[in-house]
Amino acid sequence: MAPWLSSGLVYASGLALTAGSVTLLYIVTRTFNFAVASMATIGFYTVYTGVTLFGGLPYQYYPFAFIVGSITGFICYYGLNRPLLRRQAIETTLMMSTLGYDLILLSMIQMYADFLTHTYKIFPRRVTMSLFDFELFGDRAAAFILPVIAIGFLTILHIFLTKTKFGVAMRATIENPILAGASGINSDRVYLVSWIIGGGMAALGGSFMAMAMTGTPVMGMYTIPLMFAGAILGGLGSIYGGILGGLVIGLTEYAGVFLLSQQFGPWVLGYRMGIPLFIMAATLLVFPRGLSGIPLLKIIKNFAEQKRGARA
Amino acid sequence: MLTVSNLSSGYGKLKVLYDLSIDVPEKELTVVVGPNGAGKTTLLCSIMNIANVFSGEILLQDSSIKGIPTHNLAQKGISYVPQMGNVFAELTVMDNLHMAGYMLSKSEAKDKAEQMTEIFPVLKKFIHRLAGTLSGGERRMLAIAMGLMKNPKLMLLDELSTDLAPIIAERVMMEVARMRDELGITILMVEQMAKRALEIGDTAYLLVSGEVKYSGDASALLHEPELCSMYLGIKHSSDKGKEFELSVMDEGSEDN
Ligand SMILES: Nc1ncnc2c1ncn2[C@@H]1O[C@H](COP(=O)(O)OP(=O)(O)O)[C@@H](O)[C@H]1O
Ligand SMILES: [Mg+2]
Repeated sequence: MAPWLSSGLVYASGLALTAGSVTLLYIVTRTFNFAVASMATIGFYTVYTGVTLFGGLPYQYYPFAFIVGSITGFICYYGLNRPLLRRQAIETTLMMSTLGYDLILLSMIQMYADFLTHTYKIFPRRVTMSLFDFELFGDRAAAFILPVIAIGFLTILHIFLTKTKFGVAMRATIENPILAGASGINSDRVYLVSWIIGGGMAALGGSFMAMAMTGTPVMGMYTIPLMFAGAILGGLGSIYGGILGGLVIGLTEYAGVFLLSQQFGPWVLGYRMGIPLFIMAATLLVFPRGLSGIPLLKIIKNFAEQKRGARA
Repeated sequence: MLTVSNLSSGYGKLKVLYDLSIDVPEKELTVVVGPNGAGKTTLLCSIMNIANVFSGEILLQDSSIKGIPTHNLAQKGISYVPQMGNVFAELTVMDNLHMAGYMLSKSEAKDKAEQMTEIFPVLKKFIHRLAGTLSGGERRMLAIAMGLMKNPKLMLLDELSTDLAPIIAERVMMEVARMRDELGITILMVEQMAKRALEIGDTAYLLVSGEVKYSGDASALLHEPELCSMYLGIKHSSDKGKEFELSVMDEGSEDN
């Protein structure tokens, strides 16, 4: 694999999960979750703590990253989001509250980094996680493993949302909260579960991204524009759209940097974040409703629907 | 079955209903009619704890249900079919039925869904289609079936016939009468098709600007020419031999 492609796949798999997290929380609770930034960083530090203190491969600590992220989501829901939703807060208030939460999480990350330095004499402020990776087919293993984990996670999420009673109830609540409530579905539980899943996805995404970039206490803050770009590119309408958006943003960044720096020289690197943001803007100009608004997807969906209808 | 007394309610700080009292007797069809914006939907939303209740009391079989969270009202045997968005367009017909019976056990829900497809054969035909792809009439049938999934004691129906072709609207009305007559369900129905609703209904309330202007026998309201022409758009023909003429009042379009 070309180096830009293997790094790009690693990075894009992580960005896809964070963009999916942003989208999920937006469509369920109308909240743009800025805390996705520190949730992602926390995912990275969970894995980092595992490999430095207990050894082994980064991959075996991913479940812990997900759980720690879920806990931050759980706290955000009960501490902030739920009280505000109950007071029928407007979207801006919901959004700004998560910014506050992000700053709290960020200071806790800084304190934790200091704690690691003082107690274990390790230096967690600039970490190259790929050093802990191994080689597979002559390439970094992460380039194969992370996309597979991401796809596996998505498959489980999809099965959860379409085949389980609670998952279908989540989709019902997303589409029509009043009818869902009248049907006996407790929206409170739906919101809680989406914060748990959303927090976990953000942390998992962050721990993926750290395999392609330098892990720092502000890595989430640095990449949050792209997480939101992915969600917006996806159209903010479906979780799958958000995930696809994150994937596209991540891959175009790496592909764009590679192609443009070959053409124009390495100074392009300084503008690397501009490339995916430009792609997003251009796509939205043509398809204002984002990737999930592209008729092509609809055509495929309709086609599948017709086939399903004909079979029934 | 259901008694609403001195209810004042609305949205946020906005008051829509003023000191309103209605009574819904058991196994009867109670009809609420009135012009657009009168507060008919708000009345149902107040019962379901979706709108804000400022004062008054809501009793279901003599126990208060005021302030009970919406999702717990389904367990109490109340089934609400909203005016707009009364099916989950992005779920299949089957999933819609199962969601409507959310608080039933898995096997109960399965039996009940089966039963619904027998009552409404059209649902069986489209059981794996997304509800959003159904026609207006089919969707309304699904909405009724979803209401029935809950084994309700009381059904709250909001403008079930609006926007349907007359012949389909008539079928929906017959379906409502059948639920009362054959299943013994108590029904509180808001209707735009005032004439037909008053014909099949038992008791009627005429709601205007958040206040009750008439209450009593449903068909008797049809013999109040002033109220009928002023608020319901039902005009009495001067020729006594002719039936009443029905002119549908202006009504904004809704979900197709
Ligand atoms: N969600 C809402 N928020 C604020 N005002 C509302 C809302 N729904 C309805 N209203 C207002 O309440 C009044 C009564 O509306 P509604 O109960 O829907 O009337 P009806 O069902 O009789 O046509 C109207 O003036 C309407 O504008
Ligand atoms: Mg209405």
